[in-house]
Amino acid sequence: MDLGFYLLQLLTGLAYASTLFLLAVGLSLIFGAMGIVNFAHGSFYMLGAYLLYAFSRGQAEGFWTGLILVLAAALVIGALVERLFIRPIYRRPEEYQILLTYALLLILEDLVRFLFGAGYRSLPTPPAFSSPLFLLGTPFPSYYLFLVGLAGLSALLLWAFLYRTRLGAWVRAATQDREMLEALGINVPLLYTGVFAMGIALAALGGAALLPLQAATPGMAVDAVIQAFIVVVIGGLGSVWGALLGAVLIGLLQAFGILFLPEMAMVFPFALMALVLLLRPWGLLGRPPAVRT
Amino acid sequence: MRLGLLFLGLLLLGPILSEYGLKLVSEALILGLYAMAFNLLFHQAGLLSFGQAAFFGVGAYAMALLVSRAGWPFLATLPVAVLASALVAFIIGFLSIRLTRIYFTMLTLAFAQLLYAVAHKWYAFTGGDNGITDLRPAGILGESLPFYYLTLLLFALGVGFLAALERSPFGYALRGLRDNRARAEAVGVDGFRHLLLAFVLSGALSGVAGFLQGALQRSVFPDYLFWTRSAEAIISTILGGSGVFLGPAVGAAAFLFLRVLVQANTEYWPFFLGLLLLVMVLFFPRGLAGVWENLAGWVARGVRRGAAGG
Repeated sequence: MDLGFYLLQLLTGLAYASTLFLLAVGLSLIFGAMGIVNFAHGSFYMLGAYLLYAFSRGQAEGFWTGLILVLAAALVIGALVERLFIRPIYRRPEEYQILLTYALLLILEDLVRFLFGAGYRSLPTPPAFSSPLFLLGTPFPSYYLFLVGLAGLSALLLWAFLYRTRLGAWVRAATQDREMLEALGINVPLLYTGVFAMGIALAALGGAALLPLQAATPGMAVDAVIQAFIVVVIGGLGSVWGALLGAVLIGLLQAFGILFLPEMAMVFPFALMALVLLLRPWGLLGRPPAVRT
Repeated sequence: MRLGLLFLGLLLLGPILSEYGLKLVSEALILGLYAMAFNLLFHQAGLLSFGQAAFFGVGAYAMALLVSRAGWPFLATLPVAVLASALVAFIIGFLSIRLTRIYFTMLTLAFAQLLYAVAHKWYAFTGGDNGITDLRPAGILGESLPFYYLTLLLFALGVGFLAALERSPFGYALRGLRDNRARAEAVGVDGFRHLLLAFVLSGALSGVAGFLQGALQRSVFPDYLFWTRSAEAIISTILGGSGVFLGPAVGAAAFLFLRVLVQANTEYWPFFLGLLLLVMVLFFPRGLAGVWENLAGWVARGVRRGAAGG
């Protein structure tokens, strides 16, 4: 086991962390701005994978156009779901908002089963990344590097959007005081539709980007949303940087944990989450709530 | 009084039911108990648990493992099933009942799926997805009518316990915490302890339901712990109406009736479950009980108006 091997494992962990980040950051953003925990978030991740499969017709050559179409479709689907289902229940108790997204989780899983069948759906690695990259004599799958770059670019764009544009400032303001924002004449419902659609698009992008590495199944939705929960609980619910930190921690924990204790690898993320909950229940980068509710 | 009449009716129903009818009503009682255990958390404590399947499954697995691996008699495993599910509820609750209710809901789902994954993968202990089969209870409990009476007895005990709990100071404290935790704590109610105790009680009752279901089906599979199993308790409760004491049990009966109807025609049952939940949440948040009250109110108004007019 030389240095190259550990570097490869590091890259594997980071590649996994990249899709986790794309998945979890939307969940965190939607919660931060809208106060809604989207239990169907993993379903849109799953939908992204299946849509890429459909748009590229299972051919590696169709990857790039497919990815752009997935993004566009996810934005439309996200906006529609928010308008049709989420908006009518903003003023209801939060339990009913959660139940509604839970209903969407049930519906979407079976819908995908109906449309694509219960079997595995996969896509070969796109041609641009078919040959590995050599570093220290070790072959590195270049697609992993693409994933890390994609997540890094997304994080950077998201940061620029939230902290360098007026619209982003409104989204941050919505997390603080919705009524004040409305009083200033900002169309908050429209802003919510946008945030929701953006979160869904990020999740779908994550799911689609994972397709060349891991086949899609209808059951992946609930696993994905739980992974996303673990990431945001560790990082802090509502915090974009928390999602990044949580995703990297879980990605590395998985990649290296599987080397030392393969049977226990599944339990590690839960153990880390339990530890964070006991020591710092609001997450590593979250803010402790002012009033306990 | 009303509860007594219900139990008496179910008692008399036993001998006139067919084999299939007995099995179906037994299953409705089990699901009813399970949904009412969920509603102890949802309605009384204001906690939405997405992980009830964990306790249902642990109760079922405790029974199945002791019967099939250790040769225990079926009934003797009941105390162990209750204790095991209470213990698991204590651990999950201890970690989940922190900060906000949103955390609670997320974490209950996550921990329950962890247990599902363990049961699914740990072949040597749980048999993995082959499950544990051949669990017909020895003696007369292996027959439908005696088993129905056992189910009815445990259902009656569970429901009676929940009714007493609702009227006890503990029940008032839970509702106080639900409505305003800060105020309830200001008058000296220990929020964490009360919610944790409610969670453990709800887990133990769910374990009883799992114990019965495993014996009714004669087998236990990892899907007893799967998240869709938690959804059954939630949807029964929302369907029946969470704000009425027996609402979840009525919802469970309606749920099973729908399942028989839908599964005869399509394999896409979760899709209908989701659709049902969506429609209930959007249009009938108070469930069948709410629909019933609206209808009753509407009829009463109509009668009064008729009387005034005539």
